[in-house]
Order: sequence, then C-alpha cells, then structure tokens
Amino acid sequence: MERDDFIREPVKHIRIDGKLTVDQLIQQFRNSGSFGAGRLSAACDIYERMLRDEKCTVFLALAGAVVPAGMRSLIADLIRERRIDVVVSTGANMVHDAIEAVGGHHYKGHWFVDDYVLYKYHIYRIYDVFVPEEDFTKLDYKLVEIYDEIATESNGKSLSSNEFTWELGRRLSDSDSILRAAYEAGVPIFLPAVRDSEFGFAYWLHASRKTSGKLLLVDAFKDLPEIVSICKRSPRNGMMVIGGGVPRNTVQSAALASKKGMDYAVIMTMDRPEIGGLSGSTLEETVSWGKVKSAANKIMVIGDAMIVFPIIVASVLERLGEDFKRAPYLKPKGIGGI
Amino acid sequence: MEEKAKTAQKFCGNCGSHNAYNYPNQVFCTLRFSKGKEPIVQTLWCCEEWNPSSQECYCIKEAEKKQNKR
Repeated sequence: MERDDFIREPVKHIRIDGKLTVDQLIQQFRNSGSFGAGRLSAACDIYERMLRDEKCTVFLALAGAVVPAGMRSLIADLIRERRIDVVVSTGANMVHDAIEAVGGHHYKGHWFVDDYVLYKYHIYRIYDVFVPEEDFTKLDYKLVEIYDEIATESNGKSLSSNEFTWELGRRLSDSDSILRAAYEAGVPIFLPAVRDSEFGFAYWLHASRKTSGKLLLVDAFKDLPEIVSICKRSPRNGMMVIGGGVPRNTVQSAALASKKGMDYAVIMTMDRPEIGGLSGSTLEETVSWGKVKSAANKIMVIGDAMIVFPIIVASVLERLGEDFKRAPYLKPKGIGGI
Repeated sequence: MEEKAKTAQKFCGNCGSHNAYNYPNQVFCTLRFSKGKEPIVQTLWCCEEWNPSSQECYCIKEAEKKQNKR
C-alpha cells in the first residue's frame, strides 16, 4: 500500500433536511462512511446484493427477544415476500410468535419496575416488554393438543425441527404469524435449541399425562443433513444475523459443513469479541473457520437489532422498489424444506 | 396472627401446581393435567393434593377481591 491509498476518499458530511427518506438517510451515512453510520450503510448494500443475486439463498439467524419486542410482522412479511429463504431461530422467538397466533399479547412495560410485584401478578418481564403468564399457559394447553395430533399422525417417526415448525404453521390460522407465513411460503424454520423454550415445557406437559398415547419426537440432529444440503445446493449463500448464539452458529456451521462458506454476511450484535463467545466473535474470526469466505461481502453492525434491522429492510426495500419480485433459487419441496 | 392464618389456608391459588389462566378467577393446575383431570380450576378451590407454593403471589387476594365485588 502506498501513502495515497490511505487517504483516497474524503469524509462527506451528513446533510439532513425535512424530506429525507430512510434510504436517502442511509446514503448520507454512506457518504460519511464513518463509525456505526458507515457500517449500517454497508449492511444495507450487502443485503441488497443478496436479494439481487438470483443464485443466493438468504438465511436469517434470529436470537434475542425481537419477536415479543415488535419484529413479528416484519419477519413474517420478509418470509412471505421471499426476502428470506431460511430461518434459524431460538425456540423462544417462535414461542412468542405462537403466543400471539393463539390470541395472546405482549405489552409495553418498563425496565424500571419492582420485579417481585410482577412475579406476584404472574407477569413476566423481557426488559421493557411484559407478558402475562396466562398467555404462556394458554399456549401450552394448545400446544399439547397440537403435539398429540402430530404424534398420532407421525406414528413414532421423529421430526426434524423444521418439520416440527412446518406442522405448527400448518395448524395456526393467524395470517400475521411467522410460523404460518413460513408454512405458506415454503420457508423452513430450524430451531436447533428447540427444547430450550416453552416448546420444551409443553413437551413436558404432553409427556407427563398418564393418559398419554403416542409421544411427539423431535430430533434436532435430523436438521443437519437438511440445512447442509440447502447450503450445498445453493450456488451462493448469505446470512442476516440478529444477535448470535446457537442460530448464528447453526447457519455458519452449515456453510462450513457444505465446504462453501458464506458469500454474504451481515451481523447485528451488541456483544464483544474479547470474551470468546460466538455472538461477539468478529467476521474475521469466522473466516478462520471457513464459515465465511475471506472475499465475502461482510459487515458487523454494532447496534440494537430492534433499530438496525428495520432500517436496513426499509432502506433496501426502497431501493428495490415495489415492482421487485424475487424468485428463490431453491424451490419448496414439501414438508418443512426447500 | 390473622394474616398468618389467612396465608395458611389452602387454595389452588397458593398451591405449588398453579399457573395463571383466567386471572385471577381461574388457574391451570399442572398436577391435574398430568393425571388427565380437568386442569382449569377456580383459584379459591382446593383439592387433597395441595402443596405449598415456594413464593407468595396475589392470586388469592385478587380472586377474593373480585368475588367480594359480585
């Protein structure tokens, strides 16, 4: 590198007027190119490239309680419009989707509250979102019915987690539901840590009854050949990561196992790399594993995904325009898969 | 003394097997559910399998308040 290579493009200062659209603001961020603004504009560019690349399969890794916080419809719409091809989520996010699908709600609360009083009123807190316990209980009751039905139909055969979510989506009628949208659009939803959520507690109820007939069997190991095959069959792969944890690692590991590595990656996180946890690990670290290609279009945005992700989506949809239709490279192939 | 006697009284609403269902009138009993019995019971009801709840909640107080309003 020569000296001039380091000082090629001057920072252009952000100009704001009262008429800026979301994408115009992002263009101003790109002109500055600095700090979080530069990263956010780069993330928009990368997601746009993923969607315009006709041979790219787009994965959404979902961790952190973004569904109860208000991202449910956004994700369902992305699935329905096929701006996401595969979802890998915590069990909890899909539980919260199901809570609303069966009539429950999440409430605007506050982080400054006496939690023992909430406990006594049977109200759970997710930072500043409140969920009444009865909405979980009613979901459990409904899930047990659904589990009984699936168990009878599957007759001792185990389901992969994406088959399980497909069966759930099939039985939910709420058109705003992520699970329902995925079922209708043929988008698989993998829940690698499915037991670690209310889905697990409902299983315990389902299995606890002395009158139980057949039991639901979900085998998360069965997910592996399916998700690896998706990566393998897709000429290029991209991932939008909210948070990190098990969902991020599941997507990345599929890219590694298929010997391909991700071609595009956007990670939205607040975590730090120094403690060695996956959620804060840098994309460069991920390159060392072969999970993301060295030459990949990649960026990590350090910020609250509840703010960052809707801005990325709004900016990119504005760029694509209303007439843009995306046909997924891999077509739906039936129960829980593409 | 009166308060102590009150909390010692056995109700579904202070049993360790209760979960909120139609708050505060009805609770969901996991024990009854596991035995194939109707799991949704009145908060102020009680059965012979009552077991103490590990922490106090407002279910009984609120259910009584609601009952007294009727």
